[in-house]
Parts: sequence; C-alpha cells; structure tokens
Amino acid sequence: MLVAGVDVGSTQTKAVVMDDTRIVGRALLDTGARLHEAAAAAFREALLAAGAREADVACIVGTGYGRFRVQFGHAQVTEISCHARGAVYLFPRTRSVLDIGGQDTKAIRVSETGQVLDFCMNDKCSAGTGRFLGAASQALEIPLSELGPLALRSKNPVTMTTTCTVFAESEILGWLARGRRIEDVLMGVHVAIASRSLSLLRRVGVEPEVTFTGGVARNVAMVRLLEELTGSPVNVSEESHYCGAIGAALYALDRALVGAQAATVAAEAVDGGRGA
Amino acid sequence: MSGSGEREVAAILEECRVLVEDPTYPAVRRWREAHPGGKVLGHFQVYFPEEIPHAAGMLPVKIMGAGSTVQIRKADARIAAFVCSIIRSSLELALTGRLDFLSVFVTPPICDAARNACAVWVRNLPSLNSQVLYLPQNAASPHAAAYLRDEYRRIAGVVEEAVGRPITDDGLRRSIALYNENRRLLRDLYRVKRETPWLLSAVEAYTLVRAGGLMPREEHNVLLRRVLGLLPEREAKRQDKIRVVFEGGYCEQPPLDMLAVIQDACYIVDDDLLIGLRWLTGDVPTDGEPLASLARAYLDGSSYSPVQHDPRKPKPEMLLRRIRESHADAAIVAAPKMCEPGLEDQVNHIRALEAAGIPHLVLEFEEKMTVFEQMRMEVETFAESLLFDFA
Repeated sequence: MLVAGVDVGSTQTKAVVMDDTRIVGRALLDTGARLHEAAAAAFREALLAAGAREADVACIVGTGYGRFRVQFGHAQVTEISCHARGAVYLFPRTRSVLDIGGQDTKAIRVSETGQVLDFCMNDKCSAGTGRFLGAASQALEIPLSELGPLALRSKNPVTMTTTCTVFAESEILGWLARGRRIEDVLMGVHVAIASRSLSLLRRVGVEPEVTFTGGVARNVAMVRLLEELTGSPVNVSEESHYCGAIGAALYALDRALVGAQAATVAAEAVDGGRGA
Repeated sequence: MSGSGEREVAAILEECRVLVEDPTYPAVRRWREAHPGGKVLGHFQVYFPEEIPHAAGMLPVKIMGAGSTVQIRKADARIAAFVCSIIRSSLELALTGRLDFLSVFVTPPICDAARNACAVWVRNLPSLNSQVLYLPQNAASPHAAAYLRDEYRRIAGVVEEAVGRPITDDGLRRSIALYNENRRLLRDLYRVKRETPWLLSAVEAYTLVRAGGLMPREEHNVLLRRVLGLLPEREAKRQDKIRVVFEGGYCEQPPLDMLAVIQDACYIVDDDLLIGLRWLTGDVPTDGEPLASLARAYLDGSSYSPVQHDPRKPKPEMLLRRIRESHADAAIVAAPKMCEPGLEDQVNHIRALEAAGIPHLVLEFEEKMTVFEQMRMEVETFAESLLFDFA
C-alpha cells in the first residue's frame, strides 16, 4: 500500500512516498514563500521518484509548520509527533530525539512505539538553532556545509557569551578583531548551540539512544560535540533530513490501514448479510 | 436548537466578547449614564468581596489588565520590566484615563508586585482612593475570621466614605443573596463544561464568566440564566478531543486566542480561570452578621490558588482532586511570564502530576502575546500523544 508524508518546514520542504514501511521515493525543495506550491511540488517529485501516480497513494499526511498548507493531504500531524515516529523508524532503539532545524530546536523523549512521552522546544527566538549557524556562516563568509569540518580543526575554542542570533555576528567579529583563529571562533559557535540544545534535552531527560535529526544533523562538528556532551554515540541517518516526512508517511499508513480494515469489516458485514 | 435560540446565544456571547476585548469598559460607562453620580470601585485580582460596595450602591468591577488591546507606554516608566504584564497594563489603563470612572481602587497583597502596585497607584493617581485589602496571611489561624471581618469592616468604611452613606446589614444580605445566585449560575456553567463540554467552547465559557467582572451582577445573572436555559438544546456533536484541566489562570489572563488554540485539541473541563469570581464555593448565609459570614466563607468555603496560603488546602492535592472530579485525562499547567506565585506552584503541581501518572503539558503565556503557532504545535502534539493508538 502506498502512502506519503509531506513535511513543509520553514526552510525546506520534504516529501516521502512509502510502500508500506519501505521508502520508495523522496524529494527535497526550498520552501520559499508559497507553501502550498512547495508542498505540491515536493509531493509530485517524490511520486516521480517512486514511479507512482497520485491516485495510487492511499493516504497523505502533512506535517511541519506549513502542515495546514498541504491542501491535498488527508490529515495533519505535528512535526514533533512525526520526528519522534521517524526517528524510531530510522533507529528503533531511539529513546531521545534532538531535532535542530532552521528556526527551532526540539528535544523529544519517545517510547519504543514512537509515542511522544515528553518534549520541549526553544523559546520564540531562534537562539541556538540552525539560524545561529547561518548567522555565523554569513559573518565569516563561509558556506554552511564547510562550517563543521573547519570547526573540527579548532584547538582552542573561544567562549561565546550569547546564543542570540542578532548579537552573534558582532561577537564573532569581535573575536576575529582580537586575532582569534576562524576555526576557534567557529567551534565556539558550535559549542554554544550544542550546550543550549543539551539543556533542552536534559529537560525531557536524556535517555539512550539519542537520535539527532533536522538540517543541522548534517554538521559533523555538532554531531561530535553532542556525543561528547551526552557521553554516548548519537545516531545520525543519511535520511535524517526526511525524518519528519517519514513519520508523517507512517501516520498516513496507520490511517490507511484503519480505513482498509473498516472497509473489510463493512464488506464482510454486507457479504454476511447476503449469506443470511 | 432553533435558529432563533442559536442566534440569541451568539448575540449574548458577542456582547460578552465585546466587554472582554474593549479596554474602555463600555458596560461601566453605560451604568454610569443610567445612574448619574453612581460610584465605581475597581479591584485587582484575585478575590474581593464585591457584596460590600454593591450594598452601598456602588458598581464593583474587576481590573484584570488589558490583554493585547493597549500598548504600554506610560506604565513602563513607573514599573520595572521584570514585573508581570497585568500589573503594568492595569496601571497603563489608569494612567491613560481609561479608568477615570473609579472612585476607589483596591488591591489585595497577593504577591510582591500587587502589594507594591497600590503604592504606585497612590503616587501616580492622587485623586483616586487606592487601598490594600489585607487578607490574612494564615487562613487557618483561629483568629483569621475575626481579623478578616474587621478588615472587611475597614474597607466598608472606605466605601461608605466614597458614597456618603452607611452600609446596612440588610443591604449586605440582599447583595449576598444576589451574589449567591451568581455563584450558583457559574457553578451550573461549570457543570456544563464538565458534563457536556461540546455544548460550550472554552472561549465561550470564559467570556461568559469574565463578563461578570465587567458588568452589573444583576445583568450577568439574567444573561447566564438565559444562556444556561438555551444550551441543552444546542446542536453540537461530541468530538475526539482530550479532556484537560487548565491551571494557571487565576490572575493574569491568557489571551482568548490561547484558549482557542487549546480548545481546538482539548475540552477544558475545569480550570482556575478567574477563580476570584468563583472563589466562594457555596452559598454565603444570608442570616447572621453579613461581614462575618463573608469572612468565614473566604476562609472555610473557598477554592484554592497560588496566592492563598492555607495548610488545609494543599494545592497539588487540590489540583489532583479537580482533575479526578472533572474526569479529565490530563492537565495543562500554565503560568504567566514573571509570575512568582504561579511559577512556584507549578513546580509542586508538576511533581504531583508525575507521581500520579497524569499526563501534563507546561505552557508559559503573557496576556499581550499575539503569536500562537508554537503553542498550537505543543498543544496538538500533546493531544496526539494521548489520542493516537501506539499499540
């Protein structure tokens, strides 16, 4: 049975098509200003990758902050529920999930079935989120993808006094003006985000295994720092970017199966009635 | 329900919503036009015995901040930013002339901010008679009842001076009877919330209750009676929502949009929203000495809140009882930003809920907040974690 999950995030939109619990198509696009168009385009692209037609898909669930803009979807589920479910799919022994996205960070404690047991998020501001790395990337004129590897070269990281995205740039420039090496300043930025994320995780209780999701999970320095701070390995999947969409597709599968079951029961009742 | 019945309910709810969202107190101004020379007493959260000014012919009104309707420009120069919003916005209302109808302002010393607010009002609004109602610190003391009766007597003296005539015991008894009726109607409204929450949304119930603090109680009784009579006929289907108790609305008020976010995923089957209006849980006797009866009711026949310290009412246990009695599945434990009593109690509430295995969601709010997307996600996730089948 084909199902789909579409995760409309603040920065990127992800879509996944699954055949039962196997991923058969995926797509990732920049969200832009037109959320419903991004959702539709990502879904179309994922369908194409799966070699399927929309009519073949039994159920579609939207998630992410633009979940209500997935107008062709059958239901909406929050990204916290979906990330939890997706993380357990990717790493079945996951009990804690840290999701660092473009504008928010979420810490989730999850059961073996993917049920959210507890969660917390950063405040309204984007302090300590992916946006903070974006500010560093801009201030230092280094592409986002190179930040992690460069930070790992640091031997003497600076201590950042702020995780405020607005003030980050002036503090970074201040350290550079004092002659500190770029990698040391960068590592300071990473430590600030990791520490803040860890305090969110501690609020819900860090229970191994920890799975790291969201766009920032692709940053090698952040993964290394989280492993040091939690004192245990941190799961990161090649699919971590799609974690929310995978969770949404699994919720779509639940719904489709319930629907199919109800249809079978109804058909049996009709057949039984005919036989009687 | 017939179309005309539904239209009548909608009209009453709209009238209440206007009262709640209009910072110019339209019902008070209407009352003053109808009662030339009539005096108004304003009282800050949480509880105040409105029967006393009512018996003197005054109109008592609740001062409960300004929500997001007023931008704070003057009050911030007088009160520090680390003080909660409701204290600052209430002062802003006064400093900008929106409370110019007040003859007397009373605040109970429910927290450091409220206690000191009175002095700020005295300094900045010299023509207004601002008073502190000193409620007993130890409600369980054997001397508390006599002390409180005397304190009510002192406040009655302030009121008598404002209106220029004495308050009689018979007048007080008539006011107590009127307020007993109001409390009974509010209890009936909460019974609807507990037993058939789909008939009345959280926002609707809240605006109906809150309007009581903003209009003559006689009118509120008429309005409540009418709505309660019409509700059973309302056509509304029970939805797949979790049943929650909302805790944390006793002083600074959550914005209506916040309650709307919660009601989209939950039935609020009981709460402490505006608990001051429902503080006395039963009827106050209309025989005997009225001020002594009011004092006794405050001490012995009352609800609980973070700002009353009474060892006979351990608050976490009271919350668990509220959850049990309303057959709630879960609790939303909220506190306003910078609210010391609320945040302090939140710690004990969370511990008790964890020990009892009751799912709960912690939310922070501010009366002036206008963006609720993150809160919506948190509430929805909480509801999903309880509603979805994870077998």
